[in-house]
Amino acid sequence: MGGAVRWRGLLAHGVAALFCAAILLPLLWLVRVALTDKLTAYKLPPEWVTPRLHNFVEIFTDYPFLTYFINSVVVAAGSTAVALPLAAMMAYAFARYDTGGLPLRLFVLSSQMLPPVILVLPLFALFLWAQLLNTWFALIIAHLTISLPFLSWLLVAFFQGDVRLLEQAARIDGATRFQAFLKVTLPVTAPGLLSAGLLAFILSWNEFLFVLILSGPQTNTLPVGLSAFQTQRGVELALLSAATLVAIAPVFVLLPFMRRYLIKGLSLGALK
Amino acid sequence: MAQITLKNLGKMFPPDVVAVADVNLTIGDGEFFVLLGPSGCGKSTTLRMIAGLEEATSGDILVDGRRVNDDDPADRDLAIVFQNYALYPHMTVAENLAFGLKLRKVAPTEITSRTAATSRMLGIEPLLKRKPRELSGGQQQRVALGRALVRQPKAFLFDEPLSNLDAKLRATMRTELIKLHQSLGATIVHVTHDQVEAMTMGQRICIMKDGHVVQVGPPMEVYRNPADTFVAGFLASPPMNLLDARVVDHAGGLAVALGEARLAVPGAFNGAYGAWRDRDVVFGIRPEDMHDGAGPGGRTPLDVRVVAVEALGPEVVLVAALADGREIHARLGPGFVAPIGSQQRLHLDLGAMHLFDRETRKAIAQRGTG
Repeated sequence: MGGAVRWRGLLAHGVAALFCAAILLPLLWLVRVALTDKLTAYKLPPEWVTPRLHNFVEIFTDYPFLTYFINSVVVAAGSTAVALPLAAMMAYAFARYDTGGLPLRLFVLSSQMLPPVILVLPLFALFLWAQLLNTWFALIIAHLTISLPFLSWLLVAFFQGDVRLLEQAARIDGATRFQAFLKVTLPVTAPGLLSAGLLAFILSWNEFLFVLILSGPQTNTLPVGLSAFQTQRGVELALLSAATLVAIAPVFVLLPFMRRYLIKGLSLGALK
Repeated sequence: MAQITLKNLGKMFPPDVVAVADVNLTIGDGEFFVLLGPSGCGKSTTLRMIAGLEEATSGDILVDGRRVNDDDPADRDLAIVFQNYALYPHMTVAENLAFGLKLRKVAPTEITSRTAATSRMLGIEPLLKRKPRELSGGQQQRVALGRALVRQPKAFLFDEPLSNLDAKLRATMRTELIKLHQSLGATIVHVTHDQVEAMTMGQRICIMKDGHVVQVGPPMEVYRNPADTFVAGFLASPPMNLLDARVVDHAGGLAVALGEARLAVPGAFNGAYGAWRDRDVVFGIRPEDMHDGAGPGGRTPLDVRVVAVEALGPEVVLVAALADGREIHARLGPGFVAPIGSQQRLHLDLGAMHLFDRETRKAIAQRGTG
């Protein structure tokens, strides 16, 4: 009996370890390559050398990597800052007033079902006409087409939950609809809003296609910047690895917060 | 405090679900009024319409004679205590209490004094700085009550506020609410599905079923004279025994034919029940109107077989079967013992019997022309 349980435990841990390896190994490989020199980076079986940080220095000195980084921050933060309040209001309207009914909700969702490549060409034409190509503004608008419908759908669930009852309590207590939204609904759903905002930020941070088509050298964000290491002479593997690590670092920093707020958002001890 | 009047109040949910139909009620100034019924009977919807959280599809709601149908919930000046309390989780207890007062622009000194007075009355002073999630269910309940009290509204609406408490705490809170009502003289509309709550707390109770009002009256009157078999079967536990029967001629008078048994109807009821001779009825008798002894006389014997004996301490509930197998419940003294399966003779106090029309399920008047 005890032996069977132990074997089952070992098996479970073994499977879990395999999964962890599948997820972690590429990342660890990335770290290894980023810390080697350009030649060693290509060698198979891998060769171990003293770790050096010169790749990280080079991407910032020889490449406009800092510009890419700033562009990414501005576009991701900008699109999130616009998307979150708009999506919150839209989701609130869906949840409370059933605005537009199911057809409107499905319409909003359907925009998510389009392959981005279908959206990007009309957007290119529009921005060309408006002379907005190669601007932060264009990228922010373009990313809104992804994050706005996504967030609206995500947030409906937050507003449909128990907070509805709290809002009613506030209305009875003497609050107008707007006061109830501002003083009760928003603070109570804040963790959910925040985690949704982080998701939107990450979506925009990682977006490649829109940036590739709609931006130029001055407004390229990190994902497109990374593709620059794929040169005619081949892939600059060591530099690309270092750049990739820098690009995913903010997401790693944000993830623990997101998890905490998401859990907090889902389990508010408000109602018995 | 205020009087609340409902006139032909109705609520329909699209496409065609009738939640409340044609409710007419007047809840007196300072009255403790209970809306009682099984889940889905429309009692909560009625309360929510009074509060303004649900729009009435027909009829009028009047508070002190003024129609409030189109008023915002905030402008009706009523307070509601929800079943799950709905305390604001991001505010402390003190902030929860003060929230409504702040919104109504009450002076800060007044807010402080009223919050202090209310928390003292409810014994929640030590909790003022805590957040709702740090409170037990009973404490949350008190805070929810405090949030309603502190505002000194025209009337209180209670939406099953006790149903999330354990049995012991519920009994305590019941008593406290009764005391509170006596000290405040407030108009209270209390919604519950718990008939014990309704019987003990309400000055008048209104029993609802399928969106309709079935009966309104003081608890004991509703208990003694249920308007139909639904009310008879809903109040008390175990409820009234309801058995299909027939009114027949018997020894110069009338009797209720219960299978082979004949229960002679008291002479006083003969006039009223005469019209029901040879017709199908439902015979009703409360468990406490059946006894294990013949008593001082005038009781009618009925032979039964013992199915179960449930000793509850102060009393014994006997589950017994008639000759045709139909089960009845009798509430007997604590000393009653009988082996399962044995034959027993119960003595019925038929002065307390009820007859209902088998088709309409309505009570048949015991006196007058019937």
